[in-house]
Amino acid sequence: MSLDAPRSADLDARSFATVAEELLDDVYGYLLYMTKNWALAEDLTSETFETALRRWKRFDPRRGTHRAWLLAIARSTALDWFRADSRRRKREERADAEDPRHDREPAFGEGFSAELEEALRALTAGEREVVALRVVLELDGDETAALLGISPTAVSTRLHRALAKLEERMRHHDAVA
Amino acid sequence: MTPSPDLIQELRASRPAAPADLRARVRELAASEATPTAAPWSKLHLHLPARRSLLVALPAAAALALTTAGVLGLARSDAPSAEVLRGELAQTDKDSLESAVPETAPVQTETFGAGATPGAADAIAPDANRAQQISATLTVEVSDSDGVSDAAQKALDLTERLGGHVVSASVVTGEGANAAITLRVPVAKVQEAIVGLSALGSIVSQQVSVQDLQATLDQLERRERSVRAQIAVLVARLESEPLDAETRARLQARLQNLRAELRVLRRGLAGTRAEARMATIQLTVVTPESTGAVAPQSRLDRTLDEAVNVLVWEAVIALAILIIAAPFALVLLATWLGRRFYRRREEERLLATS
Repeated sequence: MSLDAPRSADLDARSFATVAEELLDDVYGYLLYMTKNWALAEDLTSETFETALRRWKRFDPRRGTHRAWLLAIARSTALDWFRADSRRRKREERADAEDPRHDREPAFGEGFSAELEEALRALTAGEREVVALRVVLELDGDETAALLGISPTAVSTRLHRALAKLEERMRHHDAVA
Repeated sequence: MTPSPDLIQELRASRPAAPADLRARVRELAASEATPTAAPWSKLHLHLPARRSLLVALPAAAALALTTAGVLGLARSDAPSAEVLRGELAQTDKDSLESAVPETAPVQTETFGAGATPGAADAIAPDANRAQQISATLTVEVSDSDGVSDAAQKALDLTERLGGHVVSASVVTGEGANAAITLRVPVAKVQEAIVGLSALGSIVSQQVSVQDLQATLDQLERRERSVRAQIAVLVARLESEPLDAETRARLQARLQNLRAELRVLRRGLAGTRAEARMATIQLTVVTPESTGAVAPQSRLDRTLDEAVNVLVWEAVIALAILIIAAPFALVLLATWLGRRFYRRREEERLLATS
């Protein structure tokens, strides 16, 4: 049982503003890896925090951290967008066509080397997601598994495969260069 | 293959940071966070996740069911039980039947129910100066089959000791043991007999009736005297008067009829006097099993019984609801699982193709 307000002192009772300020980079980074599109990641980040603000009263610190909670909302937001995008592309019979934003604009924005960006582009969203969570945001295996709804072993396997693919792509890029 | 540390380092080094405009947007959003004014009842507002709600709801429902059963059990324990009602109805029927039987002579009857004391028979005492027909019906309850045999034997011994005799006796032992004994004892000893027989067990019912026979006896005696006088006159005429054959024959026929009537009257007198001398007692010995009687329960027992009844009904209703709701619940569960599976597959597909 949880009382909406006020929470006991031993539980995390930070304000939404504090949590948003602290975790904004994490949410944005995760969504950027998921969508490989900085503009889209920004939109989805905003949407994530809007949803989080609406649900702020329902957050129960005993069930997880703010970060896990926000990333779960971000994931759900991203999947909703993927669904909508898939439907839109099917409807417009352009399933094979890439989203114009994916081609014309720099995908990951500043801070990424050209080879890393290209290697990341070659990964699937699922692979990029696990790299973002485990390597970039440094979530542990159990936290990642809970967020993705899969077993920790599956997380480990998926991460290993993604990193191997990433490394191979980067080696390939170096060889070509 | 172990991933190169350089790759990990590069990935972490290029950790994306939110652009300034996005940060500004989120700050603006956070600034709009309403500070809720605490309503007096807001602290009482509970937010329970579904699983926790279930954890609270199930014990709460069980407690409610138990409380309801307890309250109803307590309330209904005041009402007479079904067994008591049946007993009262049976007694009412019996009383109705008894009152419907036409009486040929004034009968004074006293009936005592369960728990009557042997002294209750004193309410009707034989009158030593009048001829009375006294009959008693007595039902006593003993604990078991052996008790029935013992009681029957003691009843026979008592009858013999009081100078009476057994008219009929039927003793059944084993399951449904009972005894039915008809006794005749001297009227002078009837009270002693009833007291002794009542002591054989706990009294279930007792009925003593007294019918006055004195008037009948007086009438018979008067008629006997009259008949004897007529016979004496006829005998004297037949012996002393010269009579023609026809008259003599008529008088002799009348004499024969009067003598026959006198014999009947004497038998009647003897029978009536015997009836007045000996009282008839019908003794029935029963066990709780043979009567199917239920011992009176204490209020606590009745409360518990009623509470258990209510609980049984609650369980029956809950089971019925469960039986009706189970298929729907299964369909809902299957739908939920199917939807979840579909969404998982869809997510995997989306994440693999995006």
